[in-house]
Amino acid sequence: MTDAQHPNPPHRPEDTDALAAGYVLGTLSAASRAAVRERLPRDEALRDAVAFWEQRLQPLADTVAPAEPSPVLWSRIEAALPAPRPAATPARPRTAVPPPKPWAAWWGSLALWRGAALAGFAAATFLAVAPSVGVRAPAAQFVVVLVAPNQTAPGWVVQASDRQRALRLVPLADTAVPEQRSLQFWTKADGWDAPLSLGLVQPGQPLEVPLDRLPPLQPNQLFEITLEPYNGSPTGRPTGPILYIGRSVQML
Amino acid sequence: MRATPAPIRRARRPVVTLNTPFDHNAELAACARGERDALRRLYEREGRYLLGVALRLVRDRASAEDVLQDAFVAVWTRAGSFDPQRGDGRGWLYSIVRHAALDWVRAHRRTVSADEETLDALQEASAEPGPDVADTVAWRSSVRQLDACLERLDVAKRQCVLHAYLDGCSHAEIAERLNAPLGTVKAWIRRGLAALRECLA
Repeated sequence: MTDAQHPNPPHRPEDTDALAAGYVLGTLSAASRAAVRERLPRDEALRDAVAFWEQRLQPLADTVAPAEPSPVLWSRIEAALPAPRPAATPARPRTAVPPPKPWAAWWGSLALWRGAALAGFAAATFLAVAPSVGVRAPAAQFVVVLVAPNQTAPGWVVQASDRQRALRLVPLADTAVPEQRSLQFWTKADGWDAPLSLGLVQPGQPLEVPLDRLPPLQPNQLFEITLEPYNGSPTGRPTGPILYIGRSVQML
Repeated sequence: MRATPAPIRRARRPVVTLNTPFDHNAELAACARGERDALRRLYEREGRYLLGVALRLVRDRASAEDVLQDAFVAVWTRAGSFDPQRGDGRGWLYSIVRHAALDWVRAHRRTVSADEETLDALQEASAEPGPDVADTVAWRSSVRQLDACLERLDVAKRQCVLHAYLDGCSHAEIAERLNAPLGTVKAWIRRGLAALRECLA
């Protein structure tokens, strides 16, 4: 069978169709598959032929027995998604650490603010139910509920108490972290140029940060946890996707 | 002349589909707008079936999950390029997963040489999913056209198509499984596909 051994031959319709069929069926070699993929964007006949075979053979895929994914797979997928993005972001290899993006672009991104707004909503909800879950309001001056962007279920709570001179990050759910990556905790108040790292976070473990290392907390101060390289962000700024985000709410 | 084929409209799991209508195209459009919940809904709806497809091709659970993860990231980043004019969203989703799995298979699985270890592994792999391919394929009325066309093929050609599409077998692996010369298998596949093309058009 003469699949894509020749990169730029004149294509007879039956050759194009055989190539498309081999591509969809799966019998082509890695090199031939790459050649087809390279040709697809500029070869409409090949695209049509591939679409034909994909549609016609799809019923076979529907006969395959399902397999239940591991419970953590969705978290892994979410963590591997590119950070809040403009319309067309090219795919990145899963293992690569995303390059640092300009701070301003990250800060201005819509999804971030949408997440923060949701977190505010979650914080309000949390406060409303706080007495019933045993959080002692008088001891905590600020509370922050961190939620995953576009989610409403809280993942972490931050409590900051003047009396204890410490900020405490408490997990509410487990967080799946890919191998060789770490969670990093950040904050940024209005008027700051950049977020400040509050340190690496162990999934499922609380973290205490002394308040004397920080400027005074403000209402509506942003807190977030990002996925970073194993030893933390190499740039001192968040470089990976935001896993949890929220804003501080001052308690009365 | 090649006319653009009309997409097959079929309900795969009719009970579920009737009870909870699910609009794959709309979810993909939402992904393109950056709505992660839409991707999650696609995952919750199709994840276990897509993992089944990937696992059958890749034959290793951890690698199949890696493939599915990569595929969903690709769905997310490429959702904007999905064109409902060219086919339905569900098929698009399955194609992304199948091609990710096939790329993995062609990159990682050595084409068989007839050494014993490989033969053992192959026999194990083909025994593991249970019955032979032809038995596990449900010849249902909803796939009447494909079924009819596959049934028209003689057994050897049909087996070639199924081993390739479902199990990700290369020409050489199919030759091993069917105990037939490589050249013969290539000819069976070529003629089988040509016959299917005519029948399915």
